[in-house]
Amino acid sequence: MKGMKGLLIKDIKLMKNMRNSLLMILVIAMGMAYYLKDLSFIIVYLALLGGAFTSSTLSYDEFDKGYAFLFSLPVTKRDYVMEKYGLGLILSGGGWLLGTVLMTAAGWIRNNGAIQDNLMMGLCLLPFPLILLALLLPFHLKFGGEKGKIVMIGVAGGLLIAGVLGAKLAEKMHLDIDAVLANLSGLNMNLMTVCGIVFGLIILALSCRISMSIVRKWEF
Amino acid sequence: MLKMEHLRKNYGTFSLDCSIEVLQGRVTGLIGQNGAGKSTTFKAALGLIAPDGGTIRILGKDVQDIGAKEKQELGVVLSESGFSGYLTIKDIIPVLESLYEKFDKSFFQEQIKKFGLPDNKKIKEFSTGMKAKLKVLVAASHNARLLILDEPTAGLDVVARDELLEILREFMEQDENRAILISSHISGDLETLCDDVYLIHEGKVILHEETDVLLSDYALMKADEGQYAAMDKQYLLRVRKESFGYTCLTDQKQYYMENYPKLVIEKGTIDGVITMMIRGEAI
Repeated sequence: MKGMKGLLIKDIKLMKNMRNSLLMILVIAMGMAYYLKDLSFIIVYLALLGGAFTSSTLSYDEFDKGYAFLFSLPVTKRDYVMEKYGLGLILSGGGWLLGTVLMTAAGWIRNNGAIQDNLMMGLCLLPFPLILLALLLPFHLKFGGEKGKIVMIGVAGGLLIAGVLGAKLAEKMHLDIDAVLANLSGLNMNLMTVCGIVFGLIILALSCRISMSIVRKWEF
Repeated sequence: MLKMEHLRKNYGTFSLDCSIEVLQGRVTGLIGQNGAGKSTTFKAALGLIAPDGGTIRILGKDVQDIGAKEKQELGVVLSESGFSGYLTIKDIIPVLESLYEKFDKSFFQEQIKKFGLPDNKKIKEFSTGMKAKLKVLVAASHNARLLILDEPTAGLDVVARDELLEILREFMEQDENRAILISSHISGDLETLCDDVYLIHEGKVILHEETDVLLSDYALMKADEGQYAAMDKQYLLRVRKESFGYTCLTDQKQYYMENYPKLVIEKGTIDGVITMMIRGEAI
């Protein structure tokens, strides 16, 4: 626990170097809240950047063979992984929270959707930062900063192609996807949201286990 | 404190097979050329790499069993890495406070002031000497029992090196139960600081000796062809052919001084011994 706390303080101190970027992001998010019609994009934007900041702290650690020194401190590999997931939840989850607040406030001021609807939309998008972190961290830990990004893009492209092929296959099999989606939207929205969040948490826990097994094999 | 027995690690054509021991109350030096295996030995001692064979016991435990608790008692300097250069000393103080139960903040701040290290400047903007001093101060400021220091004086000028060695001497004077394992390519550092030294070459320990013995009993002798032919060779460790005859390394200086008064006998130095051990031929 002490190890995790120390690492977290280190990362927060490192993020001081990014304070101008953080300020810029906040200004852009506020601009979005003022101009965008689809306010839910603010949540995706802020959660995504929260993930990117988490990833950048890994790059700082990686730089100049920093890992060797970090693991000579009273820090275990488990501490390290847990701290990165914790930081990711703070930053990406914080991005989600800020996005939800901005979206709700903007919706209220601009008379764009009821407060309750916007809050519900925010909750619906909560699995997004969870799944984002679940993908981002193991790829970065396994392949490093630069390669990790390339592999992530490759995987995202692969998933997109798989989706398109799946849709084509469903069409050939005479499955009506629109009807399936219509049925889904008819289900209880609250239940769907809870299921989405639980799914996100399960994926995140699995990702954390995978990251542990990646880091356990590290040598410096 | 630390005992390695036939630690083995293979990287392509490089093969390390190293046995060393660091005892309580002592400063042990590890000397060797670049690529001799010093850093690999240090990393193995810290569990940063998985050995291919052999045993490593540190602070009474197998290295695989050491965790955060045991690392509280270690102070480490690695030659090529340290805290991120984007942090300042002010940033790392709370980090150290959180990581180390016995972090002595007032001692650390006092030393930072004493050595004139700027606490609000990014570490990447520090000079080589400043970075080296900071690394050693970090290692020595949490009441560690064992310091593991890989090339802590690399790239330093004479004055900075002396100041840094002074920190280490004070560290040892404070508690007789402490120990230091230190590597350096500057033999002068080791001659004045270490109780014993290991010489490592191409992954193997080729010499282990008490520093006092090395400095008092070892000698380099210059002999012409005739003198060499007449010489008793049983106490010669290495011999090298030279234009004037032979240079010989012995660990029995007194014997040759008494029996061969006409020989040119130079007092042993770590540099001289290293050179002969590596470049000379065994008898």
